[in-house]
Amino acid sequence: MTTYVSPRAASWLQAAPFALIMTCLVLIPLGIIVVVSFMDFGFAEIIPEFYLGNWQDVLRSSLTIDTYVTVFRQLAYVWTITLVLGFTISYYLIFHIRSNIWRAIFLAACAIPFWTSGPIRMISWVPLLGREGLVNQALMGAGLIDQPISWLLYSEFSVIVVYVNMLTMAMAGPIANSMAKISPSVIQAAWDQGATEWQTIVEVIIPLIKPGFVVGTIFIITAVMGDGFLVRAMSGNQVNTPAVAIMNEINAFQFPPAAAKSVVLLVVVLTMVGLLLRFVDIRKELAR
Amino acid sequence: MTEIKKKGLSRRSVLKGAAASVGAAIGSGAITGFPTYWAQASKDITITHVGSIYTTNPTVSEQANKDLGFTVQMQTLDNTTQINRMLTQPETIDVADFGNTNMGYFKNRGILMPIPVSEYRYWDKTVPLFTQGTYADGNPYSMQGYAPIKSQFWADQSAQEYSLTPTDWLVGIPIMYNADTLGVRPDLVPHKVESWGDLFNSEFAGKVALQDGVNVGVPDAAVALEAAGLMTYVDKGNMTREEIDKTIDLLIELKRAGHFRSFWTNFDQSVQLMASGEVVLQSMFAPAVTEVRTRGIECQYLPLKEGSRGWYIFQSAMAHLDGGDKLRRDCVMEYMNWCNSGFNGVYFSRQGFYSSVPDLMKEQLSENDYGYWYEGKAATADIIDPFGKVMEKAGAVRDGGSLWDRMGNVGIWNTLMDEDRYLVRRWQDFMAA
Amino acid sequence: MGTRRTTSFYVLSFIFAAFLLFLYGPMFCVYLLSFQGPDGGMSFPMRGFSTVWFETLFTAGGRGVGDIHNSFIRSLRLGAIVALLTMLIGVAVGMSFRRRYPGGNFVFYSAIISMIVPGIFVGFGISLTLNMLGMRPQWWYSGIGAQLTWSLPFAMLIMFIILGRMDKAFEEAATDLGATSFQRFQYVILPLILPGVVGMFMAGFTSSYEEAARAGLNIGTGNTMPMELTGLLGAATTPVMFAVGTLTTLFMFTLVIATLLFSTTLTKRRQLRLSSQHA
Repeated sequence: MTTYVSPRAASWLQAAPFALIMTCLVLIPLGIIVVVSFMDFGFAEIIPEFYLGNWQDVLRSSLTIDTYVTVFRQLAYVWTITLVLGFTISYYLIFHIRSNIWRAIFLAACAIPFWTSGPIRMISWVPLLGREGLVNQALMGAGLIDQPISWLLYSEFSVIVVYVNMLTMAMAGPIANSMAKISPSVIQAAWDQGATEWQTIVEVIIPLIKPGFVVGTIFIITAVMGDGFLVRAMSGNQVNTPAVAIMNEINAFQFPPAAAKSVVLLVVVLTMVGLLLRFVDIRKELAR
Repeated sequence: MTEIKKKGLSRRSVLKGAAASVGAAIGSGAITGFPTYWAQASKDITITHVGSIYTTNPTVSEQANKDLGFTVQMQTLDNTTQINRMLTQPETIDVADFGNTNMGYFKNRGILMPIPVSEYRYWDKTVPLFTQGTYADGNPYSMQGYAPIKSQFWADQSAQEYSLTPTDWLVGIPIMYNADTLGVRPDLVPHKVESWGDLFNSEFAGKVALQDGVNVGVPDAAVALEAAGLMTYVDKGNMTREEIDKTIDLLIELKRAGHFRSFWTNFDQSVQLMASGEVVLQSMFAPAVTEVRTRGIECQYLPLKEGSRGWYIFQSAMAHLDGGDKLRRDCVMEYMNWCNSGFNGVYFSRQGFYSSVPDLMKEQLSENDYGYWYEGKAATADIIDPFGKVMEKAGAVRDGGSLWDRMGNVGIWNTLMDEDRYLVRRWQDFMAA
Repeated sequence: MGTRRTTSFYVLSFIFAAFLLFLYGPMFCVYLLSFQGPDGGMSFPMRGFSTVWFETLFTAGGRGVGDIHNSFIRSLRLGAIVALLTMLIGVAVGMSFRRRYPGGNFVFYSAIISMIVPGIFVGFGISLTLNMLGMRPQWWYSGIGAQLTWSLPFAMLIMFIILGRMDKAFEEAATDLGATSFQRFQYVILPLILPGVVGMFMAGFTSSYEEAARAGLNIGTGNTMPMELTGLLGAATTPVMFAVGTLTTLFMFTLVIATLLFSTTLTKRRQLRLSSQHA
């Protein structure tokens, strides 16, 4: 019953459904987006005439620079915090929690909040961070402040807090996975040679978790660069990023400029991911 | 003649059914009005209605299905998704309700069915805001922004151009409208707010909000800037590029000074902002103010010197119905007539919106409800919302008074400016600042 | 690490506890406020303590409830199908990357692109394409397809991690014993990656359950949960929203625990069978 399939053909067969879906439902629509970005527009209307205005605006205006500066600043904060936090949590769960059951329970505990619908989760930050919210009340109750702090909500601060809240597990997950792959004997060997915990982390663990680190970073980059909903909701529509700018134009049914901005965003993020993969090729790790 | 009689009959029975279920106790009403052949033929038809939560919800659809004999399937969508659906997949929709400003997107697209005035039963009972372009007393209203009359009539059946004077073809059937002003937390502001200009008063720095966007937020800001003496406009509802530039520059200055607390995207956010005390002064929709008050928090909605910002939501049928299945089209027209006949209007009236046929509402709302919501009278008993919750205690008077006290002084209407493209672009700069 | 409870253990335990507190902060508000008294609002203070909002949720025509029940069922159905397809197609594409092959780059980068292109554009593009083909969007093909563009890239990356973790020695041993590639997959690879595959199923489900930007225009005439909730925000909402949050979380929690238990027993049984066959 065994018919021989060449490895190459086997890979093609295995990748075919995926490739088909991506081609038909992502790349073809993307092609339309690229074409649309070179068109003029009216009221909710794409005018099929060659027009460079969208691109001139994207490439020349200060808006582009402003929005990218904002989003890169957010990304830097979010990436740094989620990396440190995510690493710490993974390290704790993998190397300090010995019982498999407890580890599973802790991991599940970290996942539960994400099964509440997004719109509801967004609303729930107001009673927490608002002027009359729990945090302000606790701080005032403790006598640390006299006046409620207003920048806890509807500010870049709240945007970053919510990003960290939502994305830390996206960073921790892949890192934990890579850590679990490290054979305990390797760690034991380091200990036996008298390495401190810190030395073990820096010299043994960190070099071995590169794939997890890269996958986690890709999650963070795509999430922060691509999200507009969270930024709009948490900043009270007062912070503009490239994705928010795209959303604003789509909400005004101005598709061509939104298309041009999307293409730019795509190129920027692809470049970032490409550079990252040059550093660690996660596929090569697989095929090793 | 028989045609009219038949319709009259069916209408009355529909009303009866609706009223009974609302609890107005007009009498037990079995639906007997529809001729049997109609009920038989139409029972397999399902029509799709998309719109906002106020008109598309299980309470209304259940009643419609009970009254009409065919199925009305409802889908609640946010505005962006709905407009995109209407533009790219009009054939998946039969009936839609939407703000009249969206006509800027639908004009000359051939997606809406011109509605013959003769097929809509309540046109003669409709308030002159829509039929004549005037207030109830016959005086014309402000034409700044998307005044209702600007896109109420098609010039002819081809549905290409609008007519400012009545014709036989309606763009849409009026559903609800209202006049918005500033919502105020009287317990948190130091003095009485009487002008839109207070929105930019430095006393309220960090405690004001606007709607996010160019159709409501910008006209509100423009009214406030003009009232504060910072700007003058030829037409706030349709600014020139220079006016847009100046407006955005002023707003950026205010934003940098930390004047705005937030910009709200949906109704719910505006309620949360006010109820949680994040904001003490902001532009709001009328039922949002009611909602804040329902929670036991003082919130005022006072008439201001410069007048209010009016808005208007109508309902339209999609063009594919003409030339399609005749029975289906009849069902859609029957349904659209039903929407204003009673139940639906009563349902949203009791949440603070105005019906375009107040006389019909008067027949079906209790005297107390009609007095409170439409006539500006003090409530003689508690005002209960459609869900059974007490909204106002006996003795309360609606802010701003009667329908025409509130609706009779519109300074500007919700808008979609000719320079929308430029405005959206500059709004982006404002958001990025 | 060893058997000692070091100081670092306690420091790290503290950090983890603090993180959980932070993670649950807003959820705590959701759970607590869903028991808000009948006169209470969506923010603190609590005005009494009641289950009135849960009752409202199940009352016909309840305030601020809309068509949530049907939307929830639609979302579950859609999520289950999307999760299943994500799992199958995801495992397949992951396996394909175990060797280098021409076109691999194309597949990989198309997934990265799909993660980045704004969802609403993917949705808009699909609906435009269907429009040109004269097809009417329905949840069971265009809705599912649109959501797969979102869930599959994640599935692919998860597969990378899972396969990367796998010890190749088992597989080589199986090959040496003369196992066909299918046997190798069934008896060696699958048991090893099964917990991860279940994880992929859950990730697929969660991403579908949360997704609206892509599906919105391609789902046809029945709203999913996030669409309905967004629609409801167009009117005033009540703590009933938080009741929805509490209940759906509870539901999902039960579902996940059940899945976990199921997958654990499955793995154990497979391992048993495998060892008995080898014996």
